[in-house]
Amino acid sequence: MTRRLSIRAALAASAAVLACFASGVFAQAQNTLVWGTSQAPRHLNPAVQSGIATMMPGAQIFASPLRFDDKWNPQPYLAESWSFQDDGLSLLLKLVPNATFHDGRPVTSEDVAFSIMTIKANHPFSSMLAAVDRVDTPDPRIAVIRMKQPHPAILYALSPPLCPILPKHVYGDGIDPKNHPKNNAPVGSGPYKFVEFKPGEHIILEKNPNFFIKGRPHFDRVIFRIFKDSNALLLALERREVHYVPFWSDLASLDALAKKPGLLITDKGGEAIGPINWLAFNTKRKPFDDARVRQAVSFAVDREFITRKLHAGRTKVATGPIAPGSPFYTGAVETYKVNLERANKLLDDAGLRKGANAMRFAAAVDFLPGNNEQQKNVAEYLKAQLKKIGVDLTVRSSPDFPTWAKRVGGHDFDMTMDSVFNWGDPVIGVHRTYLSSNIRQGVIWSNTQSYSNPKVDDLLARAGVERNLDKRKALYGEFQKIVVAEAPIAFINLLPYYQVYDKSLKNLPTTIWGAAAPIDEMRRE
Amino acid sequence: MAEERARGPWGEAWSVFGRNYAALVGLGLLALVAAMVLVGPLVYGVDPFEIVGAPKMGPGIEPDAPFGTDYLGRDVLAGLLKGGRPTLIVGICAALITTIIGITIGSLGGFYGGAVDGALGRVTEFFQVLPALLFAMVLITLFTPSLLTVTLAIGVVAWTGMARLTRAEFLRIKQLEFVRAARSIGASNARIIWRVILPNALPPIIVSATLATGTAILFEAGLSFLGLSDPNVMSWGMMIGSNRNYLREAWWAVTFPGVCIFITVLAISLVGDGLNDAFNPKLRTR
Repeated sequence: MTRRLSIRAALAASAAVLACFASGVFAQAQNTLVWGTSQAPRHLNPAVQSGIATMMPGAQIFASPLRFDDKWNPQPYLAESWSFQDDGLSLLLKLVPNATFHDGRPVTSEDVAFSIMTIKANHPFSSMLAAVDRVDTPDPRIAVIRMKQPHPAILYALSPPLCPILPKHVYGDGIDPKNHPKNNAPVGSGPYKFVEFKPGEHIILEKNPNFFIKGRPHFDRVIFRIFKDSNALLLALERREVHYVPFWSDLASLDALAKKPGLLITDKGGEAIGPINWLAFNTKRKPFDDARVRQAVSFAVDREFITRKLHAGRTKVATGPIAPGSPFYTGAVETYKVNLERANKLLDDAGLRKGANAMRFAAAVDFLPGNNEQQKNVAEYLKAQLKKIGVDLTVRSSPDFPTWAKRVGGHDFDMTMDSVFNWGDPVIGVHRTYLSSNIRQGVIWSNTQSYSNPKVDDLLARAGVERNLDKRKALYGEFQKIVVAEAPIAFINLLPYYQVYDKSLKNLPTTIWGAAAPIDEMRRE
Repeated sequence: MAEERARGPWGEAWSVFGRNYAALVGLGLLALVAAMVLVGPLVYGVDPFEIVGAPKMGPGIEPDAPFGTDYLGRDVLAGLLKGGRPTLIVGICAALITTIIGITIGSLGGFYGGAVDGALGRVTEFFQVLPALLFAMVLITLFTPSLLTVTLAIGVVAWTGMARLTRAEFLRIKQLEFVRAARSIGASNARIIWRVILPNALPPIIVSATLATGTAILFEAGLSFLGLSDPNVMSWGMMIGSNRNYLREAWWAVTFPGVCIFITVLAISLVGDGLNDAFNPKLRTR
């Protein structure tokens, strides 16, 4: 009897402990935001790592010199003002007077200079700060970025997901920034400060009481819960163990979510990320070295069917290399409206006649593993669709990302489905795919198509340094026309990114960087 | 009586089998599945990869696709008819591989004993302690998922039971007098293994191989469920694996191939059990 009692007591006690632990870590308290994500970051330092997984928490921990509104206009953040000088060769930043790091030390121009040079040396987007020569610090509040050539993209490169200002007294100790121990326990000057990081499980942040913008942020705690499985994330959201999930791209569950009372869904925000789902050709391989063959494939793809039927109307058709949200986008390009007759004629003209089995040639299509709706399903659709123009297509699946990246990075493919992001300015995310100087063996998301056109190289080189916005738009307009016409890539659709949130949440991040920017204004009502 | 004896052990087994209703039902179902798989695609000529209509249409809505369409708009009925062949081929070939490896290792170990048996026994145990599904997944991931790699992977991970069964049979039979007789008239080891012992060890092996076919089909479905199937070959497992994400909106694209696998494996099991009863003399009086 006593033994049974003691077991019962022990059970009750352990249940109580568990309950305390659960409520302590994943509190439902009014002032805690639980942010769900299926993207697991390796570490939390966006200075040396790209990708939304690191950018989301990174933008809360670190502040950046500038931020953007929802209309692509730069706004003050750590820099209260900025101005171009010397014909665009210098950018002067004047820092706010009261910004401090989470350890209490002031944010100075030394930190800005250190951060920019660290990012330039270590960030995977090498074109982002390639034009920067050095950063002068005439005054603790003044940083002057000196550039080798005019570089209008610099303003985007100074925004939250791309330019975290690191404390030099923490990261400047000589340890390799890519493997710095503080990447797992970062010190920044952003609205929330770091508390705990368990890789693959959760990240806990708490309010920075000394944030330099008074009256912000509004949550006492922000907890990122990392889910390996999107179904588990969905259930947690339904039970409100999670209040907020940005960058939701699983379409199958979206309709179910939309029907849940108390949950809201928006597709606003994040236009600068510009994620395009596309079919890339290896232009060095026969028969895809012939532009007519690539055009024929593009004409055979029914983008309306993909976006309306396969994606249930939740995605939009992509028309070119620049996503439609961008100020540099033009729709005045060949639209490749589905036309099987024209596709067949182009293949006939290219000398690829139909053989005995009504097939012209065989080819394989790869796809990026992970997101079936955007990648595998479209590849399988292509198999069915291209049969109609006499292409015997095999779907080649890769068991994991490294396998796919090795094949495509190593130029060992005929065609591949891929998702590539614009990242704000075309110099950062668009040039890399088309510059002949960026045909690099073994580097994924370089010019793996081996596309080479001196005219395009010249247009991009000029557009990258053009300071006049209208002239710049014209250069990119011509670039888009040529690239779409020559079709090293068949653009399919824009990736859908939705923010799913509890209806009590207000002021969601709807700027061009979405939830890859600080959520210092977000609150619960 | 004399007639019955003249039929020999195989004929006798067949007559026992013929009196087992469950086994006959299994045989009938198997014949039905075989007919569907062999004749079906000839009668119903729709390409299973062709997109025939809107995705996720329920059964009976569109006369073109009586069993509905999957997440791409492909005809589920065409997939069922065309997808049976690869499924059965994977099942049968994997069972064959299992049997060949199992018989080879088991017979050598059982016949020679001693150090050979010890070494082969360790190899068998090594494979036995590896979790079969995980090991198969690793193999398929290492090589690209295709019909061949899936078949080989299943065969390679599933042979241990067969090896142990064969070894036990050999250990038992090699003590019997007719084996000694064969040895005394100078038969070579190879002849004794293949011509003397193996034929007498066959009945339980046949039962086991039959059941292994069913297991291999389930194995293939399991691997496909985890996404490890060849996207270029329509199989029942592949249909389940690629449609399972849409189970809530399009149950039919998963359920019908599931039912096909269920019926096939059930039929094979019934036949296997019938064979077991038929070959086992102790159960004959039942």
